[in-house]
Amino acid sequence: MSARSDALAEKRELAGEGVGAGWFRLQHKAAPYLFVAPFLILFLCFGLWPILKSLILAVYATNGPKSAVFVGLANFRFLMADPDFHTAVRNTLVFTCWSIFFQLPCALGLALLLCARWVRARELFRLAFFSPNLLGQVFVGVLFSVLFVPQYGLLNHLLHALFGIALDTKWLSNPALVMPALVLTSLWMYVGFNMIYFLAALQAVDRDLYEAATVDGANGWHQFFAVTLPSIKPVAVFVLITSTLGSFQLFELPYIMLRNTAGPDNSGLTVVMYLYNTGFITGDLGYASAVGWTLALGMLVVSLVQLKLTRAMKGVGD
Amino acid sequence: MRSFPFGSAALAILGLALASGLWLAGHPIPSKKATLTLWTFADTHYNFYKEAAPEFERKHPGTTVELQLVSGQAVTSRLQAAFWADLDVPDLVEVEISSAGSFFRGPLKDVGFLDLTDRIHRRDPVTGKALWDSMVHTRFSPYTSRGRIFGLPHDVHPVQLAYRRDIFEKEGVDVAKIHTWDDFIKVGRRLTIPNKRYMIELGDGDGTNLEMCLFQRGGGYFDAQGKVIFDNEVGLQTMLWYVPLVAGPKKIGNTLGGGQILTRAVEDGYLLCLVAPDWRTKSFEKDIPRVGGKMALMPLPAVTPGGPRTSTWGGTMLAITKHCKHPDLAWEFAKHLYLDKEGLAERFRGTNILPAYRDAWKQPAFNEPRPYWSGQRLGSLYAALAPQVPVQYTSPLVVTAKGKLSEALVACVQQYNTHGAEGFEPFARARLKLAADQVRKMIARNPY
Repeated sequence: MSARSDALAEKRELAGEGVGAGWFRLQHKAAPYLFVAPFLILFLCFGLWPILKSLILAVYATNGPKSAVFVGLANFRFLMADPDFHTAVRNTLVFTCWSIFFQLPCALGLALLLCARWVRARELFRLAFFSPNLLGQVFVGVLFSVLFVPQYGLLNHLLHALFGIALDTKWLSNPALVMPALVLTSLWMYVGFNMIYFLAALQAVDRDLYEAATVDGANGWHQFFAVTLPSIKPVAVFVLITSTLGSFQLFELPYIMLRNTAGPDNSGLTVVMYLYNTGFITGDLGYASAVGWTLALGMLVVSLVQLKLTRAMKGVGD
Repeated sequence: MRSFPFGSAALAILGLALASGLWLAGHPIPSKKATLTLWTFADTHYNFYKEAAPEFERKHPGTTVELQLVSGQAVTSRLQAAFWADLDVPDLVEVEISSAGSFFRGPLKDVGFLDLTDRIHRRDPVTGKALWDSMVHTRFSPYTSRGRIFGLPHDVHPVQLAYRRDIFEKEGVDVAKIHTWDDFIKVGRRLTIPNKRYMIELGDGDGTNLEMCLFQRGGGYFDAQGKVIFDNEVGLQTMLWYVPLVAGPKKIGNTLGGGQILTRAVEDGYLLCLVAPDWRTKSFEKDIPRVGGKMALMPLPAVTPGGPRTSTWGGTMLAITKHCKHPDLAWEFAKHLYLDKEGLAERFRGTNILPAYRDAWKQPAFNEPRPYWSGQRLGSLYAALAPQVPVQYTSPLVVTAKGKLSEALVACVQQYNTHGAEGFEPFARARLKLAADQVRKMIARNPY
């Protein structure tokens, strides 16, 4: 398109259409900025400005944005010694670890299964595994809070029948069981979503590599580690990073499942929930901004470490 | 079109964007025509106000009232955000008791509600009576900050126990002989069958019921000056008494959750007694209709013989925001909703909520027998207990304090479940202090 219009402009200039050609050149130069302008304006107003504002707020003790007292780094110092923040970080990290070390292998396993030629009705299974993701976190939260109900809940009845677990097991009011309940719910919701990425990557692996490996005498495990994993590495790294960042931002699921609370003994308190509570329930926007910036820095560091560890920067670039 | 360098598709998009922008600019969102806007979070309140509003509009020609039902959690966050941004602030708003304190943060001049103190204490030139004289005084304290009243109390919310009368009769329990918690626990130990039937619905995962017991004993989260007190001797004794009711082998209390689960638990006789503030009795009538006529109410057992036979759970205030352009009219509307005796009688029939306006309690509606409650006169029972309703003070950090008490409870329950009574008292004392100290630290950060 650009080459065509350039040629057109050149032709008109040669034809001596002076004013017309000038106007055309102006349009040509301005049009890209015009198209980018709506996004840019919205981003500046609702993206960059709030980010900068939150950075300023983080060094103030606030009562809403109107009355603020400069406190320097006091918010960050308080944060470092705040046991609730520590709990929130610990819970978030535990959830993130489960997401990475349990959910992603499950997603990859499912993708490998659904790639196998002997599995029938693969499309149906793909849809079935992916469909929970079409529901919102709020809906899933409500659904699972009913499943986890003590005495009358479906899950307890199933576990009671299979393993003799007490019917009145309180998944959402026993601090030791809250995190497993959240992990299970999140697994149901997101395993299919991550599976789709892995599935796409697996389908793109060159079949010739497997044939060559078979000729060389490689068994299934060898093929998986020597062919499959290296081939899907860029996608795996992408899924790993997005899952980690998504887990760091966990909010709706525990908020709904634990009925707008952080659960017993703060067992479902996540960093984002803590940010919300301090900002919008307690009204301390300055402290909430400090929490937000600490979370953002944490996410940046973790992402960089992940990229470094997986040597993906080079891999993806390649 | 030909001269546009990026092709017809891009030009069409640009044209559409410009056209829609111009259309939006030419059709601004119509400004609200209502003179007064009120937010409420309870559908029972909303339904009653919807019926009461037209009469107010008739009495005040030219006035229009707009009612909005907003979810309880959203009232706090939306209203807070609206105050900060000066946008979409209602003229009047009902705020739940546990969130009210969070609006009193910062200097008094920055509180977003009108100070109603003078209006409440102002004496009527004809009767010589102030509104203060006709209300239950203890209900103002949760809506008071630094001596100034920012909300009109909607209710009193005394607490009784709702029980399965049919099962009690079958088991030979005479509730008239239950005077104290000791009497109640004795019966509870006999009737409780672990994992099958529990004497009372009491939670071990959050402090809602513990809080009610704390109030009954004269304790609370904060004192009148806003100092944290839930780790004092009253708080400790309440915790030491409460935990064995919900933990360990001799527990008589349990909870499964709300909604349909509670319905099943009561219908099945899994829970025999329920903590019943007045508002909850209406929920039981609606949600558990099958036990109608089999339920009855008894006063809360006293802590010591002759002690208060009630406590309190929940509450609502009506506040006028500083953004209100017609504060006097808003005050009239508040009085119309909260102080009209006939209206309050109707409200009681619809919600079972005892108003904080004592003069209304003489209305016949408060003395009507209720078939669901085995013919008991609900209003009279609650009204008789209302003067004993304990006081509760608030703070901007009341939500945090509630969370911390819940954390202490959960820790104590775990300790009691694993170690029993041995070493429980020092553990509970230390855990309560830790929780209270965290709130104190947060209060100390406040630079205002």
